[in-house]
Amino acid sequence: MKNSPPVWADRLFTWLCPPHLREELLGDLHEQFAEQVEQVGERKARQFYILEVIRFFRPYFLKRRVTSPLNTGPVYTKTSYKNAASSAYPQPSLLQPAMLSNYIKIAFRNLWKSKGYATINVVGLSVAFCVCTFLFLTAYFQLSYDSFHADGDRIFQVYLFSNDPDKASASSTVPLPLTPALKADFPEIEAATRLMNGSNVVAYKGKYFDKQIMFTDPDFLRLFSFPLIQGNKATALNDRSNIVISQQMAKAVFGTEDPMGKRLLLGPDGSQKEFLVTGILGDFPNNSSIQYDAFVQITNAGNYQTDKDKWDAMSHITFVKLAPNVDRATVESRLKPFAAKYFQSTIDNLKKKGAKPDERGDLFAVRLQTLADIHFDRELGGGTGTPIALVYALMGIGFFILLIACINFINLSVARSFTRAKEVGVRKSLGALKNQLFIQIWGEATLICFTGFLAGLVLTYLLLPAFNTTFQSKLTLEYIRQPKQIALMLGVFALVTLIAGGYPAWQMTKFNAVDVLKGKITMKRPGFLRNSLIVTQFALSTLLICCTIIAIQQVSHMRQQPLGFHKEQVISIPVGNKADGQQVLKRMRNTLANDPTIISITGTGVNLGLGKDRSTSRSVMGFTYKDRDISTDWLQIDYDYLKTLDIKLLAGREFNPAYPSDSLDRVVITESMAKMIGEKNPVGRYFQTDSAGVKYQIIGLVPDFHLYSSKSERKPITMYLAHSQPISYIFVRVAPQRLAGAMDKLKAVWKEVAPRSEFIGSFLDENTNAWYKDEEKLSQLFTLASGIAILLSCLGLFAVALMVIEQRTKEIGVRKVLGASIPNIVFILSQDFVRLVVLAIVIATPPAWFFMQKWLDSYSYRIEISVWVFILVGLAAIFIALVTVSFHSIKAALMNPVKSLRTE
Amino acid sequence: MQPIMTRAYLGEFEELVLLTVAVLEGQAYGVTVATELKQRTNRTISLSGVHIALYRLEEKGFVLSELGGATTARGGRRKRFFIVTAQGKQTLSEIRDVRNQLWDSIPTTPSLT
Repeated sequence: MKNSPPVWADRLFTWLCPPHLREELLGDLHEQFAEQVEQVGERKARQFYILEVIRFFRPYFLKRRVTSPLNTGPVYTKTSYKNAASSAYPQPSLLQPAMLSNYIKIAFRNLWKSKGYATINVVGLSVAFCVCTFLFLTAYFQLSYDSFHADGDRIFQVYLFSNDPDKASASSTVPLPLTPALKADFPEIEAATRLMNGSNVVAYKGKYFDKQIMFTDPDFLRLFSFPLIQGNKATALNDRSNIVISQQMAKAVFGTEDPMGKRLLLGPDGSQKEFLVTGILGDFPNNSSIQYDAFVQITNAGNYQTDKDKWDAMSHITFVKLAPNVDRATVESRLKPFAAKYFQSTIDNLKKKGAKPDERGDLFAVRLQTLADIHFDRELGGGTGTPIALVYALMGIGFFILLIACINFINLSVARSFTRAKEVGVRKSLGALKNQLFIQIWGEATLICFTGFLAGLVLTYLLLPAFNTTFQSKLTLEYIRQPKQIALMLGVFALVTLIAGGYPAWQMTKFNAVDVLKGKITMKRPGFLRNSLIVTQFALSTLLICCTIIAIQQVSHMRQQPLGFHKEQVISIPVGNKADGQQVLKRMRNTLANDPTIISITGTGVNLGLGKDRSTSRSVMGFTYKDRDISTDWLQIDYDYLKTLDIKLLAGREFNPAYPSDSLDRVVITESMAKMIGEKNPVGRYFQTDSAGVKYQIIGLVPDFHLYSSKSERKPITMYLAHSQPISYIFVRVAPQRLAGAMDKLKAVWKEVAPRSEFIGSFLDENTNAWYKDEEKLSQLFTLASGIAILLSCLGLFAVALMVIEQRTKEIGVRKVLGASIPNIVFILSQDFVRLVVLAIVIATPPAWFFMQKWLDSYSYRIEISVWVFILVGLAAIFIALVTVSFHSIKAALMNPVKSLRTE
Repeated sequence: MQPIMTRAYLGEFEELVLLTVAVLEGQAYGVTVATELKQRTNRTISLSGVHIALYRLEEKGFVLSELGGATTARGGRRKRFFIVTAQGKQTLSEIRDVRNQLWDSIPTTPSLT
């Protein structure tokens, strides 16, 4: 026919239409189409045709599609039933209420009959769901960092890139004049704000508080979308003596008073300034990088007047917000001439050092980092950022565990399907359709899945506080309650039921009813799918275990790395901002001079490890010595520093009160510093850090020690003594036998010597342990995950082994009758599984080696991956599998063959 | 009124279809009924609607059907012809009587004539 209606529409109609009505209706449709082609043309007619077909989607036709004509009215039946010529056996409804109730009854009977499998499935799934939820919540929390700002995609952090020949570096600390210059030169920068650490002491009505105050610009409130509970965003920071405080601080300082318009005193005693509260910020979300107590204008900063035009005094970080539709790349390219204009001397210095432009053609550049990436940028964040790889690793582990649980589910269902083959056969011979069987079996699987899912959620809810304390995270269930997360979880749930429940159900519906009833379908083939699933499970578990062991080894390796000083029996006390460190140190020395508990006391500018004040600082001095570029940590110490930390002198002497000039121009250096300046016998040498400055004399040489975490190598250190500079930390070495009471004693003394400052002393070994917090967390997480993974895998293997051995009962009986010994039978039953596990180990080893090699590359002091790790993990996995399987195989082997031969 | 209450209910569209079947006198099947109705009522009439009405009428016993009369335009498929049964005819006339009675009972005013 020349003009024919769309074929697909016909196909749709054929599917939709009750078979006994198909001929006449399709005929009518075609006839009408032919008429319309003549009336309105073919194109229009085709459209009408499609519309006409769509109109047949009516309950009347849809219902009759599946119900038998026997059920309809008498007259209709007489004519249509008699006349329907072709395939006139319309199918009954798939979901008859009577059948549904039968399915449910059978489902519960089945579950009850096989409590063991149901429990294994539910436990496995709920644990997997729970772990998955935790891991994804953690990952989501990390990924959502700083995502709550409106126009977050237009906010950037400014950083300075310099392609130093030693090592290209990016630094987020910038000089004060940068931000005003940016605003002046770039009209597309809508807002820009500086953020600088400020003083920490707040006084109100004679009471003192330790709060984190930030120096910033009025733009701060406009650039970020932190809500201002009270006050006006546009004007709150407009005056030099205004202060905007957080809600938390308002509560802590003012209690129930209304803070607005009240006056606060900021700064150390003697140089306090008065500020007027003009705004209150709402609580910062947990996933905000910016979490401070109060904000004042940057013009109040102590160094503002001196440094405001100095382009080489890096002191703070800066954020900018670009106008809409302005591209970051265009701004960055426009920043090139900007950098050349203002950082000329830096560029000249780099050129002198032999720096070459990088692949973007920059020796030195001002660049922008997107707000969303700041949290993951370890270089800009000063090493505090979360590595994004870790976040993905978490998600990967979550996925692995869910996969293992799903595999268990599939394997168990497939294995069990053979025991239910008879039921399927009987149902089929009684007229059950494939679809009906599928819905029935799949429904049962969904029931188990749903129970597991629910149990997992309850588990998550119950374990959340424990999880938060263990991993020091602040997860709340609020993250789950968002529609997106709910949709995601339901999606995962649907996927799991579809794959894990659907596949076995589909398999079962394919059974041949006759064969099944004859008893022909048994576990003839070992099941390629089942085996590959077991291999996958064990490969994943082995991978996780290998990673865990290597991570733990690395952490303990770093811990055992000799730090260069003796960290035991030393108590470190942060002085805080409310007391003068030099005075406190002097008073402490006087009070404790004759105390037998105390061996020595010293002060320093930098804490070793992370104390209870959670802060760390670093000062680095750079200068040239005999044409060498020198860069060294510049560490302020006090008398007895070496004695307190038990650092042995290699040459020269320690600082001594007997030499008054020690506190002016004498330094003690470490070995690597000596190497850097190229002096074999450095003691007695002089150097200058500034051509017009002090001439320092080296009086002592000590071995290298770790001033910072042993993740990085030991850097050159120069120690100096200065009575004029404040001391931030006091170290006390305690006699070993008096350790127990020492902390209390120091606390009591502290009250006398520094009454206004809180005592937050801690042991130095605790502090240094805190350096490895991240790694510790990581290895804990890995341990947990791999433990759960191997447990779930074994659970699955356990159940599968049980099934397989049950099906081989007769074989075992025959073997025993023919004279097989018990070890023989155990060996035969176990070898199949052991072979799978060995294959899994072989598959898992290379990726484990590769990933861990990559991870270890980021550490200066790293272990070499030993082959023994893999061999031992492999042997352990085989052993675990063997134990799991042998539980059943030994039982089967011990069984009386008379009994087993009698089965069936 | 009594007979109307006891017989099977007939919807407005069904009534139209039944009348059309009567008009077409043995030539009534899906397409002809639809075309006839389109011409006479100026409504959009869908084949599916017409068919459902026809089948319902058959279930209620107002029409009888028979297959036959394949043409090439139909791809060689047969038509289902419908004829009005005696019961159908009686129902139609009952409806008409009721309508007439009602019309007769309306007080004659200029606006309604």
